[in-house]
Amino acid sequence: MSELRQFLSHAVALETDAAERYDELHRAMDVHHNAEIAELFAQMAHYSRLHRAEARERAERAGGVLAIDPWAFEWGGGESPESAATEAVHYRMSAHDALAVALAAERSAHAFYAGVASTTSDAEVRALAEEFAEEEGGHAREIERWIERLPDEPDDVLGDLDPPMDVE
Amino acid sequence: MNEPLTARDYKSDVHPVWCPGCGDFGILNALTKAMAARQLPPEHVALISGIGCSSRLPAYLTTYGFHGVHGRALPLATGLAVARPDLTVVAMGGDGDGFSIGGNHFMHACRRNVNMVYLVMDNAVYGMTKGQASPTTETDWTGSKLTPAGTHMPAFRPLEIALASGCAFVAREFSGNPNGLARRIDEALDYPGFAFIQVLSPCITYRPEQMGYKKIVHDDFEPTAVRTEAMARLLDDDGMTTGLLFKAPPAPWQGDPVPDRHRAPERVLRVGAAA
Repeated sequence: MSELRQFLSHAVALETDAAERYDELHRAMDVHHNAEIAELFAQMAHYSRLHRAEARERAERAGGVLAIDPWAFEWGGGESPESAATEAVHYRMSAHDALAVALAAERSAHAFYAGVASTTSDAEVRALAEEFAEEEGGHAREIERWIERLPDEPDDVLGDLDPPMDVE
Repeated sequence: MNEPLTARDYKSDVHPVWCPGCGDFGILNALTKAMAARQLPPEHVALISGIGCSSRLPAYLTTYGFHGVHGRALPLATGLAVARPDLTVVAMGGDGDGFSIGGNHFMHACRRNVNMVYLVMDNAVYGMTKGQASPTTETDWTGSKLTPAGTHMPAFRPLEIALASGCAFVAREFSGNPNGLARRIDEALDYPGFAFIQVLSPCITYRPEQMGYKKIVHDDFEPTAVRTEAMARLLDDDGMTTGLLFKAPPAPWQGDPVPDRHRAPERVLRVGAAA
């Protein structure tokens, strides 16, 4: 990626997708009465929107956000890197589980920006990518500290009290 | 100048009741992204569904929607697409709705080739009724007390049936790749006929093993316009191959030659208007 507007448009889309996914998880947890985790995902969505506003401001200064089709972004995968993975999501997930999902997303975003920084031929893009990678790394370290402060939880926290197949 | 529409603009205020982690969220996201990419005005789009978890989707969008009768999404969508060719019509539902209860409609919609996109959100289980085997359930699946020794019958093969029935746009995608699915939906919306996309959509509650789909789906279909080649490609298909399989010029439906003659009367279109 060697063009500043293209890079910043990716940054805006990355945070947009991250916020949308966290909003989606917030609503899903709210619907399934897991209020604590719903609130946690709402906070993550809020942070993503703040970061998107910063990226958008920079993009506007660079000439505006490019209109790129969702499938034309250069993520190196199916989804944008900071979109929280849904495979580990469960309606009874704990704060440990939710933060693990968020941590993986932040690490993935860090890897994306670090990858751009190491491959771009444009000095301005490289500098910004390094800055964003450092920011994402900081978010990951912050989430690690949150996880450390959480109380221990039982191993079978996801054990379903009302398993859907257990009808006898 | 108006702000461009974003994917968020197509999402309604109704919160999905799908289980957290359900694959159908990915299809919802793909659909909103595809519509945003095309800048489709929501009032120019109608989503028609049947019954089942996935068929709730129209409620979660700001477009027109109709949550219809079990297995009858395609007849409803066909009527709408013929009466209102100006609308973008997307029919949708689950594998049970589309291939069992509505299986006959599926074959004849493929033959009829009326202009619409049909998305089947396939999790190979009846989720809403708590986990019974569906048409696309694997023969050896023993996860339901109704079929404790497996289903004793081969799984329905929707791509083959679509090809054999005359469908000229046949694809399979994965809900865990919403950007790729958005691209396929965009392509299907461009297609002037009946476009069928089977979407592998994991059910976290009754088929938790499907949460590993991301590791086993592979984007290997090479599109062809030769029906026999497409059919031959499916002979050794493991069911996890994604991409556009077959795309050919549409036939026989070529649009209504006298659309105004068949358009519903204005008094019928103005639902709820004063008499």
